[in-house]
Amino acid sequence: MVASATQSDLRENLTLEFRRGALVLAVLTQLHREQYGYSLKKLLAEKALEIDEGTLYPLLRRLEAQGLLRSRWRIEDGRPRRYYRISAQGEEVERELAAEWRALARAIERLLS
Amino acid sequence: MATELIDRYVQEVGEHLPAQMRADVQAELRSLLLEMVEEQARAAGRPADSELVTRVLREFGPPEEVAARYAPPAQYFIGPRLFPTYKLAVGIMGLVVAALLLAFFVVGVVRTLQKPDEAVTLGLALSVVGKIFHAAIFNFGLMTLVFAVVERVQQRRELTGKAWNPAALPPVDDPDRITRAGHVFSLYGTLVMAILFNFYPDWVGIMGFAPRTGSWLLPLLRPQFAMYLPMLNLWWGLSFTLNLIVLRHGHWRRETRWAEFALGLLGLGILLMIVNGPPVFRYDRMVKGILIVPLIITGIESGKRLFRLVTRKALAPWSAAEAEAPNQPQN
Repeated sequence: MVASATQSDLRENLTLEFRRGALVLAVLTQLHREQYGYSLKKLLAEKALEIDEGTLYPLLRRLEAQGLLRSRWRIEDGRPRRYYRISAQGEEVERELAAEWRALARAIERLLS
Repeated sequence: MATELIDRYVQEVGEHLPAQMRADVQAELRSLLLEMVEEQARAAGRPADSELVTRVLREFGPPEEVAARYAPPAQYFIGPRLFPTYKLAVGIMGLVVAALLLAFFVVGVVRTLQKPDEAVTLGLALSVVGKIFHAAIFNFGLMTLVFAVVERVQQRRELTGKAWNPAALPPVDDPDRITRAGHVFSLYGTLVMAILFNFYPDWVGIMGFAPRTGSWLLPLLRPQFAMYLPMLNLWWGLSFTLNLIVLRHGHWRRETRWAEFALGLLGLGILLMIVNGPPVFRYDRMVKGILIVPLIITGIESGKRLFRLVTRKALAPWSAAEAEAPNQPQN
């Protein structure tokens, strides 16, 4: 019982670690058009990438603090929303990450086959 | 009602965030949570009532965890690298306290058995236990302070460190490698001595157990001892600073070794002055007789340090610059 709980924790941690870097790339690809947190979550979900809000929203702020995103407050439907968009630096990083991702995916695919 | 629950949640998240980002994160979080609730209510064709809000907030996570995801990287009072040493130090102090309590208990039981009329009463026992705990808490605070200072000194060293050079790596058997724990204990010891001699001179003495008062303390310092305090304070201050500098360097260097030798000589000089000076202790001859021991030890240590400095033994790469030019003759 304890062992299986530990194993499931371990699996969860490894999956989280695995997804962490990929999520940054996923978010950058979807912010060439302005999105606010919830609309971005739905957009990613439509493309089969489920990400919980508790992870996504802090990630957006972190990427903004790192200069990869820009944000501004806008009032829409009577509600203030913070909209994010990729910055020039973010586009550069996105290109590099995408190239890295493709190379890694090809390598892992070869290893798995 | 439903909005009020969201406001309470957002407020609680804010409580765990740094002030400079609090208002902004709270505003965004509130807007996002309202959106989530409305969206889920619309999808389920039900009102956005408190039940739905509770479900959304539960899914979102406990406020502390959510705040932790927003917060910048942790800043440690005592970081993970120092923490094991800190735990060990506190553990040793705990053992000393436990040993003192046990000794008092044994003495109390023995005395009660031998002389029932001089039995250790409950009030007496509590007063001694209180004194021991008082001293333990004082030392715990002091030790924590020393570790926090060392943590900051190390952080600054890492932040200001230049690009590392493999050639500057110390040899495996490097006599100039520092033991962090040793320096921390040395800092702590210096601080304890300085505080005791300056602020609690009456505590410098011999302690024992007594039948009626629970414990007794025989102070050893006479008021005349104060004449040596300026010199001793200078010595403790310099020792404390040297320890911090060595910790910051992370390695003994030529200049710090010479400073260590000079400080040893200064200590030797002060001890000699005290031993040869006018009476400053109760039982002056006995105490000065005991002081001969540290005097001899300090003398031998200083001699060994000088020998090593002169013969260049145990003086492996002093700095990255010298490590880069190993053939350069050392003078």
